[in-house]
Amino acid sequence: MTFGEIVFILIMLLTLFSALATALTSSMIYALLSLIVTMFGISGLYIFLNAPFIAMMQILIYVGAISVLIVFAVMIAGPHYLHMKAPKGWTGLSKILTALIVPVFTFFVFVNFIMGTCRTDKKLSVITTKDIGRAFFDTYMLPFELISLLIVVSIIGAIMLALFSKGEK
Amino acid sequence: MNEIINIVGKEVVRNVIGLVGVLVVVVVNVLILTWVERKVSGHMQRRIGPKEVGPFGLIQAIADGIKLLGKDIITPEDVKKPLYFLAPIVIFIPVLVSFVVIPFDSFLQVKDINVGILVIFAFSSLSVLSLLLAGWGSNNKYSLIGAMRSVAQNIAYEIPLLLALLPVIFMCNSFSLKDVVEAQKGIWFVVYHPIPFLIYFIAGVAETNRTPFDLAEAESELVAGFHTEYSGMRFALFFLAEYSNIFIICAVATIFFLGGYQGPILPGIIWFFIKTYALAFIIVWFRWTFPRVRFDQLLNFSWKVLIPVSFLWLLITGGMLKIL
Repeated sequence: MTFGEIVFILIMLLTLFSALATALTSSMIYALLSLIVTMFGISGLYIFLNAPFIAMMQILIYVGAISVLIVFAVMIAGPHYLHMKAPKGWTGLSKILTALIVPVFTFFVFVNFIMGTCRTDKKLSVITTKDIGRAFFDTYMLPFELISLLIVVSIIGAIMLALFSKGEK
Repeated sequence: MNEIINIVGKEVVRNVIGLVGVLVVVVVNVLILTWVERKVSGHMQRRIGPKEVGPFGLIQAIADGIKLLGKDIITPEDVKKPLYFLAPIVIFIPVLVSFVVIPFDSFLQVKDINVGILVIFAFSSLSVLSLLLAGWGSNNKYSLIGAMRSVAQNIAYEIPLLLALLPVIFMCNSFSLKDVVEAQKGIWFVVYHPIPFLIYFIAGVAETNRTPFDLAEAESELVAGFHTEYSGMRFALFFLAEYSNIFIICAVATIFFLGGYQGPILPGIIWFFIKTYALAFIIVWFRWTFPRVRFDQLLNFSWKVLIPVSFLWLLITGGMLKIL
């Protein structure tokens, strides 16, 4: 095993365990903190994929913005939601299953890919910011624009929801 | 020396030396900035400031440091232990990482990463996380309010902070800090982009949690905000991180707008420190000039003024680059 592989396995375990902790803890703040650790782990995996730009963006967006927004939401929701009880009929096993299904599948794909690049001598070429920009505005122009449309729709939806719930009061 | 290099490899030796250098810069910077802060504050309030320890009170900061080291580390009974212990450590990570990519001179940089500026801002978002850890872990209402305020503040300043740097990145086509400095051989970018410089500096002051944006620690409202429950060396770590953050914000401003280590006659590193500390002086000056803002004022100002203006500037820069 090379040094790189050991580090990779450590990062992977960290990501997996913190993802599990996110799903299993009953305290909102602990869930959030372990979610942040998960995001860090994922950005570490991106570095293994030779994509430093995406790794940094992962930290910047998910740790810097999304998790902060979640804190904001927790703050607005008030203290009653801090210790949520799981709905009845949800046993520990089903919790673990839900927590595992998606990550395990994604991880199989991920791990195969990364381990493959670790083993072979052929290194992945470094993905630069320029490459990503080119891909967005050239090859994947349509999906990129569609995503922005999706975001606009969801923003309008959120505003409408907020407006109507206010009107009912 | 050569034997050691042969055994562990050049890269490792270089990194170790770099890290030690970074630690030295962090500590010396804190010593200088605390002295500057106390002396400048003193004179602005028609006092003298520290003068007993050493000539002009220069060694005061070292004496304070030794005092903090000697203090008993008190852990309040009801704190959430893991979070409480983790917070001062987490706040120190972004500081160390950021110093690694800062070019102090054309040859003096631990590592030139091609996404350098993103590294600094990605990791500086961790400091908010650490304030949250400290606030939540302390189990104290003042700490919690401080932490929540810092989160709210983060929503306000993070976006203009990055948007203000984008025009410069447009012009030099690179995220690497060294490329940005090299692109300013002739004219500093502050000449082309005066308004982004102002926006960056305002958002940067908010990032460092300094007056007028010190909502998170607001000593007249919240005792000491998020670090109310910390004492001794743990408090010192927060203190160190705060002053290092001031240095990083000023250093990035210097690199992006004031030409970094470029300058006539004097060696580059001296120019770099002159510019950086001039900006740090302005931040200290702010403290005794502006009253604290409320967080809704900050949010309004940021979302209604800073962000639209920086977007507009970005658009103009893009257009100009396309035309010229």
